[in-house]
Amino acid sequence: MEKLNILVLEDDKLAQKIMAAQLTGHKLDMAGDLKSALGYLGRDKYDIGFFDLMLGPDDDYSGLKAIKAAAEKGVYAVVVSSSDSEDIIDKAYELGARDFYAKGNEESNIADIIRKFVQNRKLDAGTDVFESAFVTEDPELRAAVTEALHYAPTDLPVMILGPSGTGKTSLARIIHDRSGRPGAFVAINCSAYTEDLLEAELFGYKKGAFTGAGEARRGRLLEAHKGTLFLDEIGTMSPNMQMKLLKAIEEKTFHPLGSERPETSDFRVISATLEDPKDLVARGRMRFDLFQRVQGYTLKLKPLGERPGDLFPLIRHFTRGGRRLSFTAEARAMLEEYKWPGNAREVKKFVDLVCCGPEGRIDGVIAGRHLKPRGFSAAAAATRPAGGESDELYALALKDGLQAALDKVAEEIVLRNLAENGGKRTRTMADLQISTRLLYSVLKKNDDGGDDD
Amino acid sequence: MTEEISSKLLHDLRSKCSSLKSAAELYKDCSPAEKKEMLALMKQAAAGIAAALEKLESGA
Repeated sequence: MEKLNILVLEDDKLAQKIMAAQLTGHKLDMAGDLKSALGYLGRDKYDIGFFDLMLGPDDDYSGLKAIKAAAEKGVYAVVVSSSDSEDIIDKAYELGARDFYAKGNEESNIADIIRKFVQNRKLDAGTDVFESAFVTEDPELRAAVTEALHYAPTDLPVMILGPSGTGKTSLARIIHDRSGRPGAFVAINCSAYTEDLLEAELFGYKKGAFTGAGEARRGRLLEAHKGTLFLDEIGTMSPNMQMKLLKAIEEKTFHPLGSERPETSDFRVISATLEDPKDLVARGRMRFDLFQRVQGYTLKLKPLGERPGDLFPLIRHFTRGGRRLSFTAEARAMLEEYKWPGNAREVKKFVDLVCCGPEGRIDGVIAGRHLKPRGFSAAAAATRPAGGESDELYALALKDGLQAALDKVAEEIVLRNLAENGGKRTRTMADLQISTRLLYSVLKKNDDGGDDD
Repeated sequence: MTEEISSKLLHDLRSKCSSLKSAAELYKDCSPAEKKEMLALMKQAAAGIAAALEKLESGA
């Protein structure tokens, strides 16, 4: 635990004793009146100050004066008071208080304040998250992520919206890393499992719970005890699973498959979805009560196409520590013109491909080759006028029927996504929300095994 | 009794009640010496509550 320098202003001896017990392990100065509090503030430098407002039964909220003095010295001033009049609360915040807590729940409140303070200080002083963990130079996205990170050291659920490849999982991990939660970050892509498998993955199972359950297995909920459970593609869960998950989130207890003994897990939920969750609720694909439970703080990640200034910083990031690349003007123009539908994940894939190639200087030919994954002209698709492609498809539909044209579109989308995902089948099934059957029929037609994952 | 005085008395009452609640939660983890000190402070707080209630009742 980081040792902090803390000042407490509290006139009541019993309350002093309680505060001192809650702040064990920190350097603590206890002031019983305003004069000594101002004296301490003048002599020493404090990280946090806890201030009572009414110092004695006839006092006129003189603790407010200490808040002003503390705030001016950069102390994180927290009011711990029995006063709940809105005037006094407003006044305390106006004078520079950063938090206001009612007396009576010191055990949880004080620990919560310290945890938030330490994590936010790390956030402010630590390495710039936008230079390494989540690369973006887009001011709007930076502001949104910075705000989200201020909720990291809380138990509030977070929902991350955005297209595939925009960094939802990375951001969820960053939020967990800055949460101060001692447990693990446990991620699961809900769309990659059938209902039965997802239930077994989440809740775990007892030996013999079903055919093939040779050994008991802890579920992800238990693995995330005192940590974070990241539910990617939460909207793809069946209504039945959504109900079971909601119950586990609300009660923090659940039954592994085949077990009559309940398990308890204190996990924080971060969820993500490609689609608008309100739309999912409106279409009946997501339970309203689950949505209410998991939405908490919501932020939306913009696709790379809407923040073109991030392309080259991302390329630099992905080549850091490895081969440095140089781009001709033509290659640069091609990359800038391309829409990057697979977002940062597609940029990573592109960088991996060009880095492994023979040339460090990337010209238009090389760039174009790698923007055409597995025979599908992604660059052309991103820049070609819509009419050309639709004319081809129209001709195919007239010749072989509408279904043939639709199959071709599906095939191209599947192959493109598979290429962008480096051949990872489960990721493609998740991205496109398609069945194993459709994926394999496309692979078979193109004689492409993809990667086992 | 003016509204301001009764508001301050209520604040004092709430404050002492909150402290008693927190002290009761802490008590079980205290050493014998701390328990003794804590009990004395709790008694003081209870006496303070009684005095404040008396003031409120009398309207003084």
